[in-house]
Amino acid sequence: MTPNGALAVAFVLIALSMSGPGPRGTALLLVLTLAFAIIELRGATLIALRRAAVVVLPLGVFMGLVWIGIVGRAPAEIAADATGTRAAALVYVAGICGRLFFIVAVIQLVFLRFAQLTPLQFVGALALPVGVKRMLVVTLSLIETLRHAIDRAHTALIAAGTLTRSPSWRNLIHAWRLIQAVWLSAVTIVLGRMRDKWPVENTLALLDRTLAGGNPKWLLGDDRIWLPIALGAAVVILLADRIAGAS
Amino acid sequence: MARRELISGPNFSGRSGALMALLRDGKFAAETFYIGPYSEAALSGLSSTIADEIEIYRAKPARFGRAVFLPLGFAALGRREPQTLSGGEQVLLALHCFSLSHYEAIAIDSALEQLDPVHRDAALDYLGPREEAVGNVALIDNRLPPAPAGWSCSERAADTDVYDCDPGRVVADLAPRQAPTIAVSGLHFDYSDQKSIFRAVDLTLEGGQAYRVAGPNGAGKTTLLKLLVGVLAPKAGTLTFGGEPYRPWRQGNRAIALATQNPDHQWCGATLGDDLARRRSAFARHVHREYLSDTRMAKLADALGVRSLDAHLYELPLAARKRLSWLWPLSGALPWAMFDEPSVGQDAQTRLQLAAAIARLATLGYGVLFVTHDDDFAARIPHRVLALGDKQVKAG
Repeated sequence: MTPNGALAVAFVLIALSMSGPGPRGTALLLVLTLAFAIIELRGATLIALRRAAVVVLPLGVFMGLVWIGIVGRAPAEIAADATGTRAAALVYVAGICGRLFFIVAVIQLVFLRFAQLTPLQFVGALALPVGVKRMLVVTLSLIETLRHAIDRAHTALIAAGTLTRSPSWRNLIHAWRLIQAVWLSAVTIVLGRMRDKWPVENTLALLDRTLAGGNPKWLLGDDRIWLPIALGAAVVILLADRIAGAS
Repeated sequence: MARRELISGPNFSGRSGALMALLRDGKFAAETFYIGPYSEAALSGLSSTIADEIEIYRAKPARFGRAVFLPLGFAALGRREPQTLSGGEQVLLALHCFSLSHYEAIAIDSALEQLDPVHRDAALDYLGPREEAVGNVALIDNRLPPAPAGWSCSERAADTDVYDCDPGRVVADLAPRQAPTIAVSGLHFDYSDQKSIFRAVDLTLEGGQAYRVAGPNGAGKTTLLKLLVGVLAPKAGTLTFGGEPYRPWRQGNRAIALATQNPDHQWCGATLGDDLARRRSAFARHVHREYLSDTRMAKLADALGVRSLDAHLYELPLAARKRLSWLWPLSGALPWAMFDEPSVGQDAQTRLQLAAAIARLATLGYGVLFVTHDDDFAARIPHRVLALGDKQVKAG
């Protein structure tokens, strides 16, 4: 399978989840996704599910507190000026978080499927214009820069006795100092790079040359199996509940 | 005939500006590879792995004729993030990338000072006039003058006294103090994505003594300092401070003042005043307040070339920031002082003064650890060696 094929399958799956399928459609979608995951990734499926849970859990807790705990009604009930119930709020929160969990899990499945590729190889293999690929690489590098800045700021504030490495009240109280130090570090790193290194070397042009030579491939190997399956399943999923409802 | 240019002179003599002017001139080379003093100016910043960093710079099609500089097994480290390499390893990676690239010339600003003696000699040999295929080379290096054979040297004079400093004045009024002993027992440490760094390390560090942490690039010198300060937590093992159990990663650092290799890894405020106020508040229970008063700290900062506590740290020149990074450990606020590559980027006179100041700190009874690859600098500080290697720390 190629990264382009995997991303196309992921796009179909995510689009289907966003189309609001009924119970039968949802069940079919989950079966298809699970089959894709197990056949293409096997054991790594669990890693994708775990990562999706880590991403969605904090949002779920927050939304649960607000909608179920405080508001006690679903947005639709508020719009209709109905009394509303916490159960409806629970269904609403579960729906949002479930969909987000699905999307994150599918994206993780694609990345884990190509875990053997480096980020540059993955982006280089995409059938996209070089400018878009460059934007992807620069975005990734900005994320790396932020992580690096967090590491720097963490070192500075722990050595200065302001924070501790382990969780502590001190860390909560001084969290804003960490945020300030992270941004100062990030700006310094980016300026250091852009002032000397990049202009002297014309580094971004090098990146373009590397990405242009990525030789993207499209519709090879398992792409030819999974893409028709995904598109065929899309038709079935979109029609499943309508046909069932009509009968 | 390839050019070998050494730009020499004291700090604040405009060496970096002269280097940039040389590169902009166009006669030096159409395109030049650049390695600056720290990671943000040594690596491209565009790659998430070492393999990608190499791939970005690899000439397409491959360049023939130039020898590949391969000081470390980068192929085996391909999946690691470049930022997780030590400072010296990052410079070696940059040199490796240059050797594979299409660039006809290379400019290096102070970066070779971070290399251990073996790698530094290898790098200078590679960049020397014998390797014609390397192309033109422009270099700033505080430890190089006199210029090696085959290099032309342009000597510059200081063009400002704004940042004049004398580290000796910082420690001049310090009172004697007996730093408690730090004892390490059964220390294990590894980074999650690497093989182990330390295995069952036992170590006793006495106050009133200076220790030089020595070892090749990537041996774990900075890691050892980070463990003692509490930035990293050991996988196993115990620390005691003055005989009492000490877990800085849990309780917070309360004993060690650290000057980091890259000074920008140690600021905790935007201005010097902010930075010091935060340290004062963090260490309020462990340090006499008058020791950290604005009046005293302003006087000490002045001795290091920064005239106002309102100075914005990130707007100071790099060499001035590096000097200011010594303020906290030299101020005597905490019983132990640690310096990670303190002499990098500093001219000969400042290195001499700093060595004398560090030596005085130990004479007064403070505990001192310092990391350096500069043997001349280390020789001016009476010290014992902590040799890192084979996942062990051996006291000499």
